[in-house]
Parts: sequence; structure tokens; C-alpha cells
Amino acid sequence: MNAVYAAMDALLPFEWLHYTFMKNALLALLLITPLLGMLGTMAVDNKMAFFSDALGHSALTGVALGVVLGMESQMLSMLIFGVFWAALITFVKHHSKMSADTIISVFSSTSIALGLVVLSRGGAFAKYSNVLVGDVLSVTQGDLLALLVALLVTAACWALLFNPLMMTSVNAPLAQSRGVHAHLVEYAFTTLVAVAVMVSIRWVGVMLINSLLILPAAASRNIARNAAAYLRDSVLIALFCGVTGLILSYYLNTSAGAAIVLVAACVYFATLPLRRK
Amino acid sequence: MQCKRFAALTALLLACLLAGGCSAQSSEGFQVVTSFYPMYVFAQNVCAGIDGVTVTNMADRSVGCLHDYQLQTRDMATLEEASALIVNGGGMEQFMDKVFSLRTDLPVIVASEGIDMLPSDETHEHDHDDGHAHEGELLNAHVWLDPELAIVQVGNIAEGLAAADPAHAQAYRDNAAAYIQKLTALDVELTEQLAPLAGANIITFHEAFAYFARAFGLNVAGVIESEPGEDPGTREIAEMCDLVRSLGVPALFVEPQYPQRAAETIARETGAALYTLDPAVTGDGEMDSYERAMRENARVLTEALER
Repeated sequence: MNAVYAAMDALLPFEWLHYTFMKNALLALLLITPLLGMLGTMAVDNKMAFFSDALGHSALTGVALGVVLGMESQMLSMLIFGVFWAALITFVKHHSKMSADTIISVFSSTSIALGLVVLSRGGAFAKYSNVLVGDVLSVTQGDLLALLVALLVTAACWALLFNPLMMTSVNAPLAQSRGVHAHLVEYAFTTLVAVAVMVSIRWVGVMLINSLLILPAAASRNIARNAAAYLRDSVLIALFCGVTGLILSYYLNTSAGAAIVLVAACVYFATLPLRRK
Repeated sequence: MQCKRFAALTALLLACLLAGGCSAQSSEGFQVVTSFYPMYVFAQNVCAGIDGVTVTNMADRSVGCLHDYQLQTRDMATLEEASALIVNGGGMEQFMDKVFSLRTDLPVIVASEGIDMLPSDETHEHDHDDGHAHEGELLNAHVWLDPELAIVQVGNIAEGLAAADPAHAQAYRDNAAAYIQKLTALDVELTEQLAPLAGANIITFHEAFAYFARAFGLNVAGVIESEPGEDPGTREIAEMCDLVRSLGVPALFVEPQYPQRAAETIARETGAALYTLDPAVTGDGEMDSYERAMRENARVLTEALER
């Protein structure tokens, strides 16, 4: 790790990188933003922006669950609950005639309310507000390692899922005829999104996680001419926003997460006129 | 069919309402309600052993400072029964403005009456040059952390209760006198214990300790607001790291009721140790819990700064 820091000092001798916590934050963003940028493309293609938003909010219930069960770290309960919740939403969506946005809304409100009721019992909500406003500045070396593992695993799953997912999102009946089990693929993808959201939510926060997932992909969609460019540009835009936002937050003295999302929003609006009809 | 369903729902609704009604309790005697924990402890001491006088705390004992508190259903029920309400004042109970307009007949005792409060840092403006608070005149209301001011508060509470409940006036005053004696002893003890540390730089994460520091001659070199739900600015953390390094501050002081991530980041960056100071806003509800919390704070400070 010290070698990495030394390399960063040598290559990027800037004032804002002089602090170890800024180095850690930069490294964390270099891991989180591609992860979310990658998954975001499929979330946008499959009209799942609202779904991932609901997932982000379910983190609150995950934390509540961990607190009730007396878990030391709420990471595990968040992960388990997130995956469970994602599967449940998908299941109900498949087995109900109601439109997807209504179902997601029902689940989203349920998890927010459940989380709030448990965590605010007695009014001690303040302690857990950490989840609502993530803080990428508090990343430690151990967290970086966990994020690296998450990125590698997601990338591997992504490679496996890419073709079937692509096919399903373009033409579901065709995919079905080619032996792609559309539901299975969807479950796998939602699980992946759930894991990615839960792993990064501590650093980004409930409020902002969905913007990081959707905005880079949406911006990329404005300019990309084919599927490969779409994915590549989304990851690049996500990286750019992460780094620029962090630097801006240092010089403007604002919270890092919000600055990153604002940069992403600017990129989206800048690319909007470039969109081909 | 439609009609039946409607009837069933109506019946269910009525049943719920009636079931709720059964659990409503009536109460007698003089009900003193306090807004939060320090007021509760003070009021308990002032009302100790007086027949027919009960003290109820509104917020749960685990809440802490009330900055972002929202009234809960149970609080409204408690207030409905109240004979007198004790608040800290100075903006601590902002969330209760609505309550005051609902029960204008309720005697409200402001414990910090007559205390000159320090301006609050909470506006986040970094030019402290003139030392005055301008924007909306926010005040730092954490006065109870100075034992001398706590004594003033206990006196105010006793006088307020004596006026609201004249039948027990003498008992309130006697209790207050006994408690003030204890607090005076506490003040003397802590002054002596902390005298060697006078002038030491401390860095805290909530402005609560401004009064404590002033009372015992400590210098609050920096405060990082880590209000719940508020992200400290990136540069603010960086500057605090520089400050800790340049002053050689050995320890950072956090509070148990608040998120500690910013503090942990700075501690990792600078190698300073993290210690917990208790602003006495949560506790077990015992009569002596304020004194215990203050003694523990003195012990922690001594340990942290004498390293």
C-alpha cells in the first residue's frame, strides 16, 4: 500500500493529494465509479432506474436489521437484505399484473418506512444517519481491498451476463428462443446491482447512490454510437465525474459525494444536445 | 358484496379506535415534564421525594441533543398530561414551538434564563474574527456542561417549580439547595483536577464542550461539526488535519451520540488518539448521572492530555 501512495505522490504531486485520506478517497472512487458506471448501462437499458433507487433505500432497512440482530457491522445485513429485497421485487414483478413502477414504489416505501421505524425508535436516528449521507473520505485501506474484490467479482459476472442480458433487453422472445432463460438472467443481474449498491453505499450514501449508477450511463447513451462504446463511455464518464468531483469538493469545501453527482449531472446536460434523434 | 366489504372495513376501523381508547391512562398529581436528559436529571433532583410530584422526560433517554429531534406521538401524549414543562432554552428545543402554541396554558420553565450564552459555530462561517454571531444569532445552548451554569439552571428550575406549584415550594427549594451543594463540590473537585491541564488545546466534534472548556481553562482549538446527516466538507477535514499536526494535539474528542467518521479519518491521518467525552445528554436516569458523567470527562481528559 505504501508503494501505491509513493507512486501517487510521485505522479500526482498536487496539494489535494497530499493527505492520505484524499489518496484513499481517490482510490476508492477509481474502484466504485467504474463499477457503478458499468452496471448503470444495463439498468438504463432495462428501465431499471427506479428499481435501483428502491434498492438504495432498502439499505436503511438492512442497517436496521443489523442493529436489531445486534450485528457488529451492518455491512453483512445490508448485503443479505439487499439481495433478498431485489429478488423479492423481481419475483412480485413477474407474478403480478400491476405495472413495475407501482410495485417498486410499494417496496421502496415499505423498506424506507420499516428502516425509519426501527432506527428512529426512541428518536436515536442521528447515530445511523451515516448511511443516508455516505462519506468517501472515511475509506480505510481495508475498505479499499473489499472494494477491489467487489469490482473484480462484478466485472467477472458482468462478462458472463453481458450477452444474455443484452439479448434479453433488445428482444426478449428472440433471447428465449436462443435458450436464454430471461428470468434467471434478470435475477442474476438484480443480485449484481444489489451487491454493488450495498458495497458502495457506505461511501456514497442513500441519497446519491442512484445518481452515480444512472447519470454516467444516461450521459453515455447520449453520445455512444454502439453497445461497446456505450459501456466504455459510461465507465469513462463515471471515472471522470468521480475524480473531478473529489477535487472540486476539496477546493470548494463541500461534501464529496454531492460534488461528484453534480459533475455527473453537468456531463449529462452537456451531452444532451449531442443525442442523435 | 361491495356493501359487505365496506361494513367489514368500518367495523375494523371502529374496533381499532376503541382498542386504542382502552389503553389511555389518566394521571394525578403534579406532572413535571422535561425536554431532554440534563433537564430531566436536574428536575429529578429538585423533585426528589416530594409526594404527588412526578418527573417525566419527553425524549427517550438515548436521544442526546435535540438538534434534529422530531416530536413523536408519545411525546404529545406526555405533554397533554403535563402540569409544567422544563426546557433548556437557547434554541435547544426549536422543535417545540408548535407545542407551545397548542398548550398556551402550560407553565414553561426556561432553565437557562439569565445565562449569557456563547454564539454558536453552527452557521459554519469560518471568519471568527469579530467573535460575534450575526446570522440569525444562533446560540450555543450547551450551558449545563459548566457546573457553575448548571447550578444556575437548577436554581431556575426550583424557582420555576415553586411558582407553578406553590404547595411544594419549600420542598423544591430545599432539594435544590442540597443538589447545588453537591454540584459546588463537583466544581471544586474538577477545577482542582484539571488545573494542570489549563491552556491545553483540545479538538472536539460538536460545540457542546465550549462551556466545559471555558470553565476549566481548556482551549478549544478546533470544532468539526459533524451534525447528523451533514457531511463535513473535504477541505475542512484537510485543514483540521493540518491544525492537529501544527499544534501537536495528542487527542481528538468525540461524543458517543454522534457519528464519528470524520473524527476517525482525521485520527488515521494524523495519528492522534480518539477519546470519548460525554455531554451528559444520555444516561441511565440515576440522580447522580450528571456528576458521574462530568467526573468521567475529567478523567478522560486527564488521561488523554497527560500522555
